[in-house]
Amino acid sequence: MDILEKAVDRVLSGDRSAFQQIVDATSQKLVRLGARIMGNQADAEDVVQEAYVKAYRALTAGEFDRRSSTNTWLYRIVVNGAIDAKRSRKRRAEASDEQVDPGWDGAARAEARLALSELDEWLEALPPDQRAALVLQSTEGLNNAEIAQIMGVSEGAVEQRLVRARAALRQKREQS
Amino acid sequence: MNEQEDIEQRLSRLAGATEALRPSAGFSARVMLAIEAEAAPSFLEATWFSARRLVPVAAIAAALAVVWAVQVDGSVDDALASSYAAVELE
Repeated sequence: MDILEKAVDRVLSGDRSAFQQIVDATSQKLVRLGARIMGNQADAEDVVQEAYVKAYRALTAGEFDRRSSTNTWLYRIVVNGAIDAKRSRKRRAEASDEQVDPGWDGAARAEARLALSELDEWLEALPPDQRAALVLQSTEGLNNAEIAQIMGVSEGAVEQRLVRARAALRQKREQS
Repeated sequence: MNEQEDIEQRLSRLAGATEALRPSAGFSARVMLAIEAEAAPSFLEATWFSARRLVPVAAIAAALAVVWAVQVDGSVDDALASSYAAVELE
């Protein structure tokens, strides 16, 4: 059993402080996933924070049935939250992105932000569910079965979203 | 994006370039504050939780009060009966 599953066990047995371990072990990849779907880091952090609160609530209420791994379950909460937020929330100013981890190399940060901005602009026209499916496959490296489990749809539905997303991107390229 | 770069190449490039993204400073602390706020009971929940502990004590106190009241009532009746009897004798 890995550290994450052990931390979940501890939270389930009443040790609330163990949730910090879950956050430490997963926040980097969840924020990165959220940023790729939302298109900016500030919104991604909001989505991921809400996802952690939902996860905590579900854990303490005994609603996590462990049919999927903790990682997959957290991915699902973040992806659903990001899709909902993308549908309902207007894009927020990037001001809070200026608060930077001092350990993060400045050049890498600038390059990543630039790339995120390019990704967002490129995928902007896609519906949120197609964008999420494309991000999960092409940037997170997940296969269709894993994406289906995270998005709570069939593999066929995932394939359809991916085909439509790529068709829209091809069309956009031809028009430009 | 250069002219030759197709969709897959561009996705791959952007995936690599955004790999360095990480949470801003203090993100983890903000999350744990939100979790603490979630874990702390509201005023009503706290009041109900405290009050719930007192329910058995209150029930026992009420039962004892009823027993005491019945006993006192019986004593008063006896006393009154005695005094009526005394009056009649006189």
